[in-house]
Amino acid sequence: MPLLEVSNMTHFFGGLRAVHAYNLEIEPGQIRGLIGPNGAGKTTIFNLITGIYDPTEGEILLEGKTIKGREPNKIASRGLGRTFQTLRLWRHMSVIDHIKLGRYSKLDYGLPGAFFSTPRRLREEEKTTKIAMDLLELVGLPETADQLVTNLPYGAQRRVELARALATEPKILFLDEPTAGMNPEELIDMMKIIREVHQELDLAIFLIEHRMKVVMDLCELIQTLDFGEVIAEGTPDDIRNDPKVIDAYLGKEVSV
Amino acid sequence: MPKKIISVGKKIWATMTGWLKKFWSNFRDVPLISWLVAFSVTVALEIFIGQALARMVGLSKPPALFGVALVLDNPAKFLSAIIYMILVYGLPVGVIAYLTKGVGNQIAEWLLQFPLLLTSVVHLLLIYGVMHYWTSISDYRLLVARLAMISIIVTLSLNVVNGYMGEFSCSHPGFMALGAYVSSIFTVLLFVTDNRFGDALLPAFLGPFMFPVSLVLGGFVSAAGALLVAIPSFRTRGDYLAIISLAFMFIVKSLFENLEVVGGARGISNQPDYANLWTIFVWTVLAIWIINNFVRSTMGKALNAVRDGELAASAMTVNTQKTKMVAFLFAAFWAGIGGGLFAHVIRYINPGTFGIRKLAEVLAMVYFGGLNSVTGSIVGAVGFSLISEALRPLDIFKWIFIPIMLILIMIYRPTGLIAFREFDVAQLFQPKGKKDEEGVDHAAA
Amino acid sequence: MDVFLQQLMNALQWGSFYALIAIGYSMVYGVLMLFNFAHGDIFMVGAYIGFFVSSGLLALNLGSVIGLSTGVELGLVLVLTLIISMLLNSIVGMGVERIGYRPLREAPRASAAITGLMIGIILETANLALLGPQRRSFPELIPTTTITIAGASVTNKKILIVIVSLVLALLVHQFVQRTKWGMAMRAMAYDYVVVPLMGISSDRIALMTFAIGSALAAAAGILFGIAYPVLDPNMGILFGWKAFVAAILGGRGSILGAALAGFLLGFIEIFVTMIFPSTMRNLIAFGIILIILTFRPHGFFGEPFSAQLRL
Repeated sequence: MPLLEVSNMTHFFGGLRAVHAYNLEIEPGQIRGLIGPNGAGKTTIFNLITGIYDPTEGEILLEGKTIKGREPNKIASRGLGRTFQTLRLWRHMSVIDHIKLGRYSKLDYGLPGAFFSTPRRLREEEKTTKIAMDLLELVGLPETADQLVTNLPYGAQRRVELARALATEPKILFLDEPTAGMNPEELIDMMKIIREVHQELDLAIFLIEHRMKVVMDLCELIQTLDFGEVIAEGTPDDIRNDPKVIDAYLGKEVSV
Repeated sequence: MPKKIISVGKKIWATMTGWLKKFWSNFRDVPLISWLVAFSVTVALEIFIGQALARMVGLSKPPALFGVALVLDNPAKFLSAIIYMILVYGLPVGVIAYLTKGVGNQIAEWLLQFPLLLTSVVHLLLIYGVMHYWTSISDYRLLVARLAMISIIVTLSLNVVNGYMGEFSCSHPGFMALGAYVSSIFTVLLFVTDNRFGDALLPAFLGPFMFPVSLVLGGFVSAAGALLVAIPSFRTRGDYLAIISLAFMFIVKSLFENLEVVGGARGISNQPDYANLWTIFVWTVLAIWIINNFVRSTMGKALNAVRDGELAASAMTVNTQKTKMVAFLFAAFWAGIGGGLFAHVIRYINPGTFGIRKLAEVLAMVYFGGLNSVTGSIVGAVGFSLISEALRPLDIFKWIFIPIMLILIMIYRPTGLIAFREFDVAQLFQPKGKKDEEGVDHAAA
Repeated sequence: MDVFLQQLMNALQWGSFYALIAIGYSMVYGVLMLFNFAHGDIFMVGAYIGFFVSSGLLALNLGSVIGLSTGVELGLVLVLTLIISMLLNSIVGMGVERIGYRPLREAPRASAAITGLMIGIILETANLALLGPQRRSFPELIPTTTITIAGASVTNKKILIVIVSLVLALLVHQFVQRTKWGMAMRAMAYDYVVVPLMGISSDRIALMTFAIGSALAAAAGILFGIAYPVLDPNMGILFGWKAFVAAILGGRGSILGAALAGFLLGFIEIFVTMIFPSTMRNLIAFGIILIILTFRPHGFFGEPFSAQLRL
């Protein structure tokens, strides 16, 4: 049974068809990529699967159970973590609090704990802090724990977002252009971290990326999207040589 | 020419603040406990020789608050009032705090080995002691202190919504009204013989014990009222809370005006005098403790996350609707408690009390002190109450000074004086001066 | 039937005050995304300005100086009062924008709401301090005559008030829809950044929005003074808040929507008092508004609110 199965998903914005008959099967531990020109509907597909939009048609199964039309937070706690294309960090919050908040649904000290600071809360918060520190270690930012997130450089903010998504204990991780806006150095770091995360936490990754080098290096299978439809699917080599892909990009970015 | 004046003014300002900073640096390492000791000595001083001292400097009696009334009455007394304030407050507090800082730091160090609860109790007892004796001098002081503490509860609870959650709620007077009416009906009906609700139903000695019940009941009713606001407001995103909460405030006010059972526009009076200083003190401490716990919990942080980015919050498994609802109801509960206490301090309430003016006052306290900050709310509530009482002799001009002050604060510090700061009790009680961190000394003032 | 017609006329009159004030709220909210909580008090100031201007004009005794009949003189005074007061009050409005709102353009919107609230309090208190708590009675500018239409007796004042407010509402609507300035306002409502690109200073647009809103508030104040010739410093508070809610009910930035919602509020209040005791007026009016907002959160003509009072 695939970990995530999307079948025949179609979505309309008003009268505009944004996604058409989209299919996806992700096996545990796979790294998959989604590429396509600007406005092809890549982020829309992420938003549809993660519950921000409710697809007009189609079915989405996570571990065999439907998640279509569920609230984003329910889907997230069922094991689907994500990052955002444009950074969506909370600007008044420290780095460690960001990551701890990823464990929101794993904490169950409830309102009594929140109000009266019960021993149970102290225990759980301590455990959560430890997990959060481990994750910070994993993304290479342990010394920034108490800083305000807005004081970090851009690349580090991206990594905080990754760590925050990992804190939700995802079985599958959606990365929306994880290297967008990074300089070459940060880019290499990020790719290394993604590989490490993949190996250490044994999760499936589905990523949108503009930079061909990243997708080709990381992904086992790649889908190419144009005008909301998958026009090609296959291994990096297949995609590289697919005339339709070259056509969609007008040959500009495919020269790897 | 004006430019020259401005630059000279700036220079003077800079040197003055420089002096102040230099002066203050002597007190940077004074722990809270030394401040409290200094204040208790001062209060003792005022009790024993205050009267004599006042005579000496030419005042008929010790000024009740800051002597503004005395000065307005007779401007020539201005100097006397200032001399009195320096002799009784400024000088002894400064000297004693400075002298005892070594011992104080040692005590604070020694207290570190005990659980935080014990340290807190020691400090709280000292604070209460100072307040008790300070207010024993005049009834007016007592009233101001009680109202200021209630303001802390109400301000903190509104800060949960307007600061931590980042929405704009206007319904706090409504929640206070609900709490005030429910608890007043409860106590007046059960423990007071009057011509509205008839004979007392229960023996009077039970009253003080049932008072907390009446307050909590009021709190729950106002939380239930909050549900009426929350359901339509949080369903969709946008400015709804501001509008719907405003409508709610007017509905509550109008509802009580039309309910003849509870006195209509004339309101309820004769509430028993249960809300004495220590009762309010206990409730205030409880409110600060619980609200601070809440905002520092992961659930409270989730509230900040919803404010700063709802989408990301929901992607991080936060149930945004539920979080907002819980926080709003929680805030309404404390506003209700505050309202109940308020009714039993003033011992007379009518619907007019809980109108736009009250709203302006509560909002002013929140934005004066600072958003998203427990310290800010405490400072805001106490500071605003004191300033507002001190300016009371100015009569209506008070309502020109205070708004101008607030507008200036909004222009220069749009989120308030002490915004976005965590309130850490352990840090507050720590010995000072070793690490030379940013002090949280404000809370002592 | 005649009672109904009479009440209809009352409702139209009562609603026209709300409509004129609500348009001001709605414009500021639509263009600048601000809650101008001082607007109710700007209405009050407008009424007082109208009071002083008309008293002054009457004291000049134009009639005997130039040689006009009393009727013509009163008409002239009314027109002059309207024009002068609207101009003066728009200066007040621009002052409020300049002092209270412009320094906070980059600040959280909630902070601007607080300054608005505070400016409102300052205006009330200043009035109280300068003129004292006693009420003023507005000079009689139109001698009352009663006309009977279909069995209902209607005063000429009511007809005039309704017509003047409708004309003003339509004028502003046309201004916003037709002129270059109006276009800039509408552009600013969609996107703050684009207006400077059009070669128009956004500060000037903000000033103009406040000026128009305040001019309408002055007109509302004068018309109110004509209908209910008693002014007091607190008259703006409840009026203002209700008109604010009406503005929201009309939909964000929609001028006709705000006017319509203002009239609706007038209808609700007048017809509520026909059935229930008049003390229930606020209760039922706000109750109905709450219900409408629950089921139609974007108001009558509005689009979904795009922004929020955010930090």
